[in-house]
Amino acid sequence: MTTRRSRAAWQGAAGLTAVALLTAACSSGGGGTPAATGGSTQTSGVTITVALPTDPPPQADLDAFTKATGIKVTWSSSDWDSLQTKISAAATANTYFADVTNVDWSRVGQLGKLGWFLPLETYLDANSLKSDMPQLASFTLDGHIVGVPYDSSYMVTTVNTELFAKAGITTMPTTIDEYTNDLKQIKDKGVVQYPLNIPFAAAEGLSTYWYETTQAFGGTVLDAKGKPQFTDPSSPGYKAAQWMVDAVKNGLVPPGNINVNDSQGEQTLMAQGQAASTFSDYSGLINSLYNVTDSSTVSGKIQYLATPGVNGPASNLSNPDGMGIPKQAKYPQAAAKFIDWFVSASTQEDFSGLNGQDKVWGSSFIPSRLSVVQKLAQAGSLADGERLAGMLKTASPVFPDGAPTWYPTFSNAVYTNLHAAATGSMSVADAIKAISDVANQQAGNS
Amino acid sequence: MIPAPRRSATPTPRADDTVRDEVVLAGRNDRPARTTRPLVRRFDALPYVLVAPVAIFIVGLAIVPALFTIIESFFTVDELNPPTRFAGLGNFVQLLHNHAVTNSAVNTALYVVVGVTLSTVLGMAMAVLLQRPFRGRGLVIAILILPWALPGVVEGILWSGIFDPNAGLINSLIATFHLGAGDGVLLGQNRLLTVGLIGLVQVWQMTPLSTLLIFAALQLIPEELYEAAVVDGANQWRRFTAITLPLARPGIAVAMVQALIATLNIFDQPYVLNGAASTGSSVTMETYFVSFQNLNFGQGYALSLVVALVTVALSLLVVRFIYRKVEL
Repeated sequence: MTTRRSRAAWQGAAGLTAVALLTAACSSGGGGTPAATGGSTQTSGVTITVALPTDPPPQADLDAFTKATGIKVTWSSSDWDSLQTKISAAATANTYFADVTNVDWSRVGQLGKLGWFLPLETYLDANSLKSDMPQLASFTLDGHIVGVPYDSSYMVTTVNTELFAKAGITTMPTTIDEYTNDLKQIKDKGVVQYPLNIPFAAAEGLSTYWYETTQAFGGTVLDAKGKPQFTDPSSPGYKAAQWMVDAVKNGLVPPGNINVNDSQGEQTLMAQGQAASTFSDYSGLINSLYNVTDSSTVSGKIQYLATPGVNGPASNLSNPDGMGIPKQAKYPQAAAKFIDWFVSASTQEDFSGLNGQDKVWGSSFIPSRLSVVQKLAQAGSLADGERLAGMLKTASPVFPDGAPTWYPTFSNAVYTNLHAAATGSMSVADAIKAISDVANQQAGNS
Repeated sequence: MIPAPRRSATPTPRADDTVRDEVVLAGRNDRPARTTRPLVRRFDALPYVLVAPVAIFIVGLAIVPALFTIIESFFTVDELNPPTRFAGLGNFVQLLHNHAVTNSAVNTALYVVVGVTLSTVLGMAMAVLLQRPFRGRGLVIAILILPWALPGVVEGILWSGIFDPNAGLINSLIATFHLGAGDGVLLGQNRLLTVGLIGLVQVWQMTPLSTLLIFAALQLIPEELYEAAVVDGANQWRRFTAITLPLARPGIAVAMVQALIATLNIFDQPYVLNGAASTGSSVTMETYFVSFQNLNFGQGYALSLVVALVTVALSLLVVRFIYRKVEL
């Protein structure tokens, strides 16, 4: 029989359970939300969360860091797009999300203006970083370092030397005209039906390809004020767009590439010997993909090529990955220590395999420190390393004055309109106009 | 003849009367115990306490954000252009003039037509096939449900391998059977083809749920109705149109509403299969771009509100014209 007292006890217990459930569900799971600015200066005995779009380094590396500093690391991996959304959502809601997270070069302008990340020059030795990290400029806005590159990805041209040789090409091209003629020769001789890989899917990779090609044609996309530099048909940006679309129309690029993104193109075309060259490829892919026999049929046949320019080799486009400290970080000092360790020369040597295989980090294709890249090249641990190290020296950012705050909007216009031009649903002139309209509008608003 | 039950002089108390009686008698111990039910029921807090966590979650995670979205959609909330300020219908007007948004609205309308129509028709067909018991029916249903259980992104990746223009299954089969060059462009070239194929992927995912919803409705139809129809000389088609279809309407309506909600909010499949290309972009994708790429949350709220209102309006239409209460 239920008595009044027992019913009251039931209600009390149910109420407590309800409150407990709500408390558990609504708590951040880490001891509450810190203040919007500031955060603990504590560095020893704390646990920081590192959220990056890559797998974690080997536990041995992280354990070594914990042993040296007393800071434990919780690694949170997620895909790049989701991570950008999380960064925006957390910053907008002024809530904690991670102590260290991704800073993509393309968002430096936006993130810098919004003040969502702490200025790293107050935590790290900026001068020391600058001297050994050519790509740090891509992460600097108005003198403030928004992020530090941990991987020195940059765009390079890759060629399948066997396919070039089969077409009778023994001297590699150094200019864009020579390069185009060589590709035509490969096609005409029937070596492969479609010798060039351009990922025309409407995604960021297409924008990057256009920036690299524009740089090869000797120009930039936007000026320091964000005004488009590609509207004139004789401008490098316009020529680059025309060259890319013509490559589809003239049968140098597989027609299906209008729906192929960068990684698909690398894996299904270049790595399978279906394409002879990718004009704007990612540095380090020979090591991580093309020479991996499990996923490639062209092992030992791909080499890097100094980007063919108008009158000779052109500079390469920086495309590095960086990390920074969100303003809502709980332990910014500890986070800074982690970044300092992560991008130090000794750690990057560990990640690169210079000090044994147990500390190699699979995701780290090319270290961001020039000194480590050179060591790798000298040690023979990097395929085509000498050439790669040479190209890193001349790698330069898309936007020398920092990416504009409205870069994501601009990039969206670039890849959707270039994609449309490749499908034939709009002309190159119309695509260029649509892109420049967006740039002009955004530059005018900012 | 069954005798009428006699009213007991001292009725046996029901289990739930016990506490109530105790409450009534509290403080009146000098009086004889009453066995009649009180006129005013005592307030019982327990059900409310038990429901409270869920109610608070719903209010906190659905009602409050919905109200917030409605209010903020009338404000300029642009992280790159602060401060937040009243904009009236400004966000909605700007969205109307945004070509990417209007283009995605057309695509989304096509997704709705393809998705709702095909998933309902196929769901009905499969439900009818499963209506009669047969050996292994449970296994068939279990297998049928698999596509529904897959996340949209996984589906997108799976189908991208099928549609891949250079190494995909479809083009490989075309080449293998000498039906063409095998380098045909399936996605991205043409809007109707792109939306149609992406729509098919979503239909592949939604149809199992539609099937189960309609199947559940069919299970309630008494076998006697079909037997009577057979006696009356009705053929299979007549039995389907006169019995199955009308009595399945509640299930069909629910299936259509869930398909409507899924297609109006389609994101994963076009995003993974076709990127941001205008040939397949959906309104939800544009909401994402406006909100999280451009950081213009005011316009993002406005677009979300429009999608929600359209979803409610179309769902009400389905309920109004398709749903019928069935009493068997």
